[in-house]
Amino acid sequence: MFQVTCGRSVQAARLLSPRCAVLVEAVRGRKSRTDPVAKSKVGRIKVPPPVDPEEMVALNERYSEYQLIMRALRLEFKEEVLRRKYEEEIGSLAAEKAVQEEEEHRILMAWNNQENQRLLQIRVLRIQKEQEEAERKQLEAAVQREQEQQEHIKEKEREILQLQEDAKNFITLENLDQRIEEALDNPKNYNFAIDKQGRVVKQTVQQ
Amino acid sequence: MPMKGRFPIRRTLEYLQKGDIVFKNRVKIMTVNYNTNGELSDGAREFVFFNIPQIQYKNPWVQIMMFKNMTPSPFLKFYLDDGEQVLVDVEGKDHKQISRHVRKILGKSEEVLQAEAEARKEASNPANFGPKKYCLRECICEVDGQVPCPRTKPLPKEMTGKYRAQMAAEQD
Repeated sequence: MFQVTCGRSVQAARLLSPRCAVLVEAVRGRKSRTDPVAKSKVGRIKVPPPVDPEEMVALNERYSEYQLIMRALRLEFKEEVLRRKYEEEIGSLAAEKAVQEEEEHRILMAWNNQENQRLLQIRVLRIQKEQEEAERKQLEAAVQREQEQQEHIKEKEREILQLQEDAKNFITLENLDQRIEEALDNPKNYNFAIDKQGRVVKQTVQQ
Repeated sequence: MPMKGRFPIRRTLEYLQKGDIVFKNRVKIMTVNYNTNGELSDGAREFVFFNIPQIQYKNPWVQIMMFKNMTPSPFLKFYLDDGEQVLVDVEGKDHKQISRHVRKILGKSEEVLQAEAEARKEASNPANFGPKKYCLRECICEVDGQVPCPRTKPLPKEMTGKYRAQMAAEQD
């Protein structure tokens, strides 16, 4: 019975379509055609209200004039609304809006590019700094390695000299007899105790 | 188990609806290139983690793609309707800064959003009664403080048409 349709295109139709103007006859709303009439309504004869002819004529004239004016007003307003909607979507307003939006878009893109450039500068500086750091580190590492090599060589030389020094005290075939004689002449006593400072505390008696 | 993931608040409707980036109709594809480690990609990672769900919720028709560890520095790229590509460098930025930047260049402004909300409101009049699909209410009995529906609670006798007709007949 009651239908509501939705959708923007149908909104226009709703604006223009007429409301229910026709009086509907008695419709069997709740009951079907086979249901009997209610007990309280069995003998009812519906009588329409009485009509005064002069009043009727005057009223009809006035009503027709009134309805004419109202219909004209309504159509005027509907037309205005439709025109405004058309203008907004297709007409001059839309073109202006498009131009404006293009302009704004261009400005925003320019600003974005500026930001990108700024970040680019920062990034270039950073990469430069990193490169310099890396070079410096490399140089330092090279110097370090050089130093270490020198140290190594010095260490080795020291060892060689030490060895040379020790070689003087080695026991060779020539010294053998002499050294044996010396060892036998000077017996060494290893039986001693030391305290924490390293001083000899006790010693057995040499025999 | 109701909570899933590290920050389950990202999955709540309230959080998603709070997102304020609504892209212009021209933006079709959004691409995020970022790295999974490195301090410079921090902001980009947080942006992807926290803000992308909000953006996708508000722009269901925009394709968003994430690429990891493809370039040394992070950036965003937008592909517009007319083939234009917008590059946004996000190296070293905070996720809030990125969000603000993106909203400024390609998001609908406050006025436009409000105008759209107004237009949507105009289409649906709360004063209309009808099927639930198109209107708020079907009958005045659904409103708090009004006479309840006679199908749930019978009307008092004085309000029934039958009684009123009876009284009118008795008077005459």
